[in-house]
Amino acid sequence: MKMKKKLTVVLLAVLLFLVAFIPFLTDSRATLNLMTHIFLWAIFAMSYDILLGYTGIVSFGHALFFGSGAYIVGLLLKYVGASWTNTILGILASLIFGLLVALLLGSLSLRIRDAYFAMITLAFAELFLVAALKLRWITGGEDGFSFRVPELLSNRVVFYYLSLGALILTTFLLYRFTCSPAGRVLQAIRENEQRAEALGYDVFRYKLLSTAVAGVTASLAGSLFGLQMRFVSASVLSLEKTIDALLMTIIGGSGTLYGAIIGSALVNLVQDWFTGLARVYPLFERWPLLFGFVYIIIVLFFPGGLVRAFSGMTETILFKWQARRNPADNYTPGKQDDAVRVCLKRR
Amino acid sequence: MILEVEDLHTYIGEFHILQGVSLKVPSGSVTVILGRNGAGKTTTLRSIMGLIPHRKGKITFEGRSIERLPAHRVAQLGVGYVPEDQGIFTCLTVEENLRLAMRNGTSGKLLEKVLDLFPDLRVALRKKAGNLSGGQRQMLALGRALVTGSRLLLVDEPSKGLAPVMVERVAGAISQIKKEITIVLVEQNFRLAKAVGDYYSIIDDGRTVVSGKMGELVENHELLERYLGVKQAAR
Amino acid sequence: MDAYINLLTNGIATGMAIFLLAVGLSIIFGLMSVLNFAHGAFFMWGAYVGAWIFGLTKSFTLALTSAVLVGAIIGLVVERSTISRVYGNHVSQMLLTMGLMLVLGEMVKVFWGPNILTSPLPAYLAGSWDLNGVIIIKYRLFTIIVGAATALAVYLILKRTRLGIIVRAGVENPEMVQALGIDIRKVFSLVFAFGAALAALGGAIMGPLGGSISPTMGLENQLLAFIVVVIGGLGSFIGSLIGAILVGITGALVSWFLPEAALAVNILLMAVVLLLRPTGLFGGSGL
Ligand SMILES: Nc1ncnc2c1ncn2[C@@H]1O[C@H](COP(=O)(O)OP(=O)(O)OP(=O)(O)O)[C@@H](O)[C@H]1O
Ligand SMILES: [Mg+2]
Repeated sequence: MKMKKKLTVVLLAVLLFLVAFIPFLTDSRATLNLMTHIFLWAIFAMSYDILLGYTGIVSFGHALFFGSGAYIVGLLLKYVGASWTNTILGILASLIFGLLVALLLGSLSLRIRDAYFAMITLAFAELFLVAALKLRWITGGEDGFSFRVPELLSNRVVFYYLSLGALILTTFLLYRFTCSPAGRVLQAIRENEQRAEALGYDVFRYKLLSTAVAGVTASLAGSLFGLQMRFVSASVLSLEKTIDALLMTIIGGSGTLYGAIIGSALVNLVQDWFTGLARVYPLFERWPLLFGFVYIIIVLFFPGGLVRAFSGMTETILFKWQARRNPADNYTPGKQDDAVRVCLKRR
Repeated sequence: MILEVEDLHTYIGEFHILQGVSLKVPSGSVTVILGRNGAGKTTTLRSIMGLIPHRKGKITFEGRSIERLPAHRVAQLGVGYVPEDQGIFTCLTVEENLRLAMRNGTSGKLLEKVLDLFPDLRVALRKKAGNLSGGQRQMLALGRALVTGSRLLLVDEPSKGLAPVMVERVAGAISQIKKEITIVLVEQNFRLAKAVGDYYSIIDDGRTVVSGKMGELVENHELLERYLGVKQAAR
Repeated sequence: MDAYINLLTNGIATGMAIFLLAVGLSIIFGLMSVLNFAHGAFFMWGAYVGAWIFGLTKSFTLALTSAVLVGAIIGLVVERSTISRVYGNHVSQMLLTMGLMLVLGEMVKVFWGPNILTSPLPAYLAGSWDLNGVIIIKYRLFTIIVGAATALAVYLILKRTRLGIIVRAGVENPEMVQALGIDIRKVFSLVFAFGAALAALGGAIMGPLGGSISPTMGLENQLLAFIVVVIGGLGSFIGSLIGAILVGITGALVSWFLPEAALAVNILLMAVVLLLRPTGLFGGSGL
């Protein structure tokens, strides 16, 4: 157990080191953009994981937060001016907006059965999408609009580190949140809502907290995404964006946070690859079909995520090997979420 | 033996609820399962019925193994179930409740017989079952299990929450039914159990602790007090 | 006045098509507690198959029949192969059905392309009648009649047949239905296929009503169906009928004055209902 934790820390450090050095190894814009993309999507996917993985809430409108974050920053920079003040104001505004919308949608639907939150979020995301499409004179409709950002931010390398920093910070904060007493209550709700209720927790308020945290985080990801693209169109609000985040969360394994990061890397890399292929072979324009099948297979057969299924396998092998060396170590792998396990140890 | 249960183990979630229940039910008898609240009586009936999967143990009905069969198969083979909460479909009429239970093989004669046994039901045929009184609901639940044409009835605490008069009528109905159908009866009301039971089986903490003839149990004060908390007066 | 009658018939006609979508959604939820996020896909498949067969054979009857059949088959296959594995697990159900929505939607694009197609009417349903200055568009009337007839048929099935009794009993207590010797899984499959077939019928009728079909129509109409069932009460037959007509008429009226706001007003309506009566207007009243 201890060895495993040390190993994880070392691996993480090496990985972080490598990632931090990528800009020195390549100055390919495409690579830097893709990596930045992965960081920002990882934040978005982690925010989804707070809902799905840590609380057991399904949302089909998470793009609403992501997209509105991008729009708020974009509109502000475009119409008020590409200054630093506006950038920071824009990010703050989108966080507050995300918080308010999350509280609104949550209070509308979280008291009723769980399917309602999924429906309501879907409906409101669609509403925002339609609004973005129809308010053409402001948003440019389907074509979207591009905007300028402060000089320094348009530097790819700077933005790369900025996103990486944002990812590390959010991961840390969300991790702290999931290990906090409130975070534990959320996990208790996920495991057994009735029991949490019976233990005297106000399940509704905790769920509301979860949607608020997820909404704010998603808005942050969206506003940074807008800054990276320097362009916003209605697609940031589309259901596909929500599904992408969902796919990233469950591929990596929900309820782990790090799974969302891995999922973001996987999905973005594959998407990037397929988009390239689609330019040559039109057949690959239908790659969402393949994604759909993968998604269904994961939901049906690997509810713990591919990464966990894989690491479960390696852990079992490791465990057997370890057990032979040390039969007294009676540790069963894959029983608890890794994050929870670490949390439990810290207490 | 119409029903034999051997060393039944059932889990609910991670809780090991039944830890070895055994039961032998002779054909044509009423076997009463007794035990404190939470002993596992309901769980036993539900396991036999196939409504909860069991982990271990043998269940044989009319010489045929019915382990791992889904509930509807168990029912089709001839086991009827009257759950603790009666399981009445309140949104259906009394008649619809009964018709739902009748299978292709069941004749109208059986329905007539059941309606003769429970005249209350005949009067209320067109009423919403949700509007029935507690006692009438119990009649409907019993009647519904009877019209399935089952040869074995599993009845869970039919006297629960009923006024003494109603308990009398339920007891009467059960003594009528027992002439034709084998019954496994879960009952906390010892007077009722004593009145209709031929055999008994006591479950405690998920285990069968003792079983035998009802007549012997009535004499055995120590058993009664130890497992059932039955006081002198109640007897 | 004319304009209002026009709007009203349009609203009711649209409402009827949405009702066909919503009623299956509602019954499936009531019986199996599965909120089917793939239901709009059946609707869309109905629309495409209907338009396709009509283009091939020029027979509208055949078009509607094949849409219904394809809907039932897809529904059955999907339920047996995937949804039946996740009964009881709400999170998996929602994730799964949304995945099915994606796959079924993408498959429409594979077969018929990603662009908007026209969905023509048969000649005998084209045009309109002029009754003393009141214009009645034939196809709208046809839609209303088919919708009303289907609603009546579904009602009678639920009320009178053995299957209907089983479904109503299953909504209340599926376990007890099993304990009476009825294989509830079979009933689930049947009801799911039936709901999918109704949705496909709705789609096949909706296509010519709007004149065009596109791969986004599944999600758009499913959203309306969700609004309908939230307003009417999930699981309630009457609720989905009244809710659908309400949503149809609201949509038509608002579109007349401010087309952009149609969805917004309906969503607002849903939010108000949620606040005042979280179980919907007819929730929990049976049927
Ligand atoms: N869903 C559940 N989760 C956890 N434990 C359960 C659950 N259902 C039942 N139990 C436990 O199983 C045990 C047996 O329950 P069961 O209902 O079989 O008891 P019983 O003998 O029928 O009691 P009673 O006389 O009160 O009806 C009880 O201790 C109960 O707490
Ligand atoms: Mg009990």
